[in-house]
Amino acid sequence: MRTHFSRPAFIEGARDMLPMTVGLIPFGIVCGVGAISAGASPVAALAMSMIVFSGAAQIIAAQLLAAGAPLAVIVLSCFVVSLRFLMYSAAMAPYLKPVDQRWRHLVAFLLTDQAFASSIRRFRESPDLRANVSYFVGGGAVLWLAWQIATIAGILAGAVIPPSWQLEFVVPLCFLAILAPLLHERAAVIVFATAAVAAIALDAMPMRLSMICAGLAGIVAGVVADRIFGRSATAEVEPGN
Amino acid sequence: MIWALIFIVGAINFAARLSFIALFARREMPPLLARALRHVPAAMLTAIVVPAIVFVAPGALSLDAGNVKLIAALVAGVVAWRWRNTLLTIGVGMVALWLLQWLMR
Repeated sequence: MRTHFSRPAFIEGARDMLPMTVGLIPFGIVCGVGAISAGASPVAALAMSMIVFSGAAQIIAAQLLAAGAPLAVIVLSCFVVSLRFLMYSAAMAPYLKPVDQRWRHLVAFLLTDQAFASSIRRFRESPDLRANVSYFVGGGAVLWLAWQIATIAGILAGAVIPPSWQLEFVVPLCFLAILAPLLHERAAVIVFATAAVAAIALDAMPMRLSMICAGLAGIVAGVVADRIFGRSATAEVEPGN
Repeated sequence: MIWALIFIVGAINFAARLSFIALFARREMPPLLARALRHVPAAMLTAIVVPAIVFVAPGALSLDAGNVKLIAALVAGVVAWRWRNTLLTIGVGMVALWLLQWLMR
C-alpha cells in the first residue's frame, strides 16, 4: 500500500479540497433530510451517504422512494445518473495503468464530480504518479468525510430547518454550478437545449422516466453535434480517447 | 427495501466509477462510446436541474417571471458560467430566491 503514497501530496490534496467542501455541506444536509423524509432510519440515511457517496444518486433515490416508485425504477434512474462516472473513469484510466489494484479501487470509490474536476489537470500535466494518486486520495478523503458530517447534520437538523427557507433549492444549484461552466462549449449548449426541451416535453411520463429519456436525447444530440461541428470544437475536455 | 436500495445503488455507483479504471488498463475504448460518454454530464445534469426549476408543482409548467425559482436559477446560472465557483453559485442562488419571494409577497 505504501508504494503509491506520498504524505505531502496527500495533505496538499486534502487542503486544496477544503474550500470545495463548503459548497458540498448544504447539499449533504439536503441528502440527509431527503433520506429521513423518504422513511429511512438515521442509521440507513448515514449508511447511504457512506456507501453510495453520490449526491445525485442519493437525492433521486430519496425522491423516488418518497413518491412510492418501485425498486427497479429507482435502481434504473440511479444507474443512468451514475453513467457520468463512466466518463470520469475513462478519463482517469490511462493514468492509473501502473497503479496496483487496491489503490485503483480506492481511487474509484472516491471518484466524484469534485475530485475529478480538481485533479484531472494534475494527472495530465505531472508525471509523478505517486504524488498524483496521493493528492487525489487526500482530496477524496476530505470530501467523503465532509459528506458524512453534512449528512449527520441533515439527519439531526432536518426537522428544525423551516420549510420557508427552501433548502432543497440547494440541490439544483449544486448541479447548476457544475453544468453552467460546461456551456462554454458549443456542443454542450446543444446537449443542454435538447435535454431541457425533452425534460419538459416528456414530463408526463410515469415514474420520472422523463429524466432518463431526456438525458439520452441530450447525449444523442451531442454525438450528432460532434459530427456536424467536427471534434476539434469539443476535444478539449477529454484527454486520452 | 431501503437497505437493498443502498447496497444495489452503492454497487452500481462503485461499478461505474471503477469500470474503465479496471478494464481500460488493457483495452481501448470504442470511439463512439467515448464520444457519447463525454456528453453524459451536461445531458444528465440538465435532465435533473431543468424539471426542478420550471415546474412549480407536479405537472404545472411555469416559464414566466412569476416563477421565482426560474429567475433565481438564471441568475445563479450566469454566476456559475462566469466564475465557475460552486459556493458563490449556491449563495447567489439562495439569496436571489429569498429576495424574490420576499418581494412577491
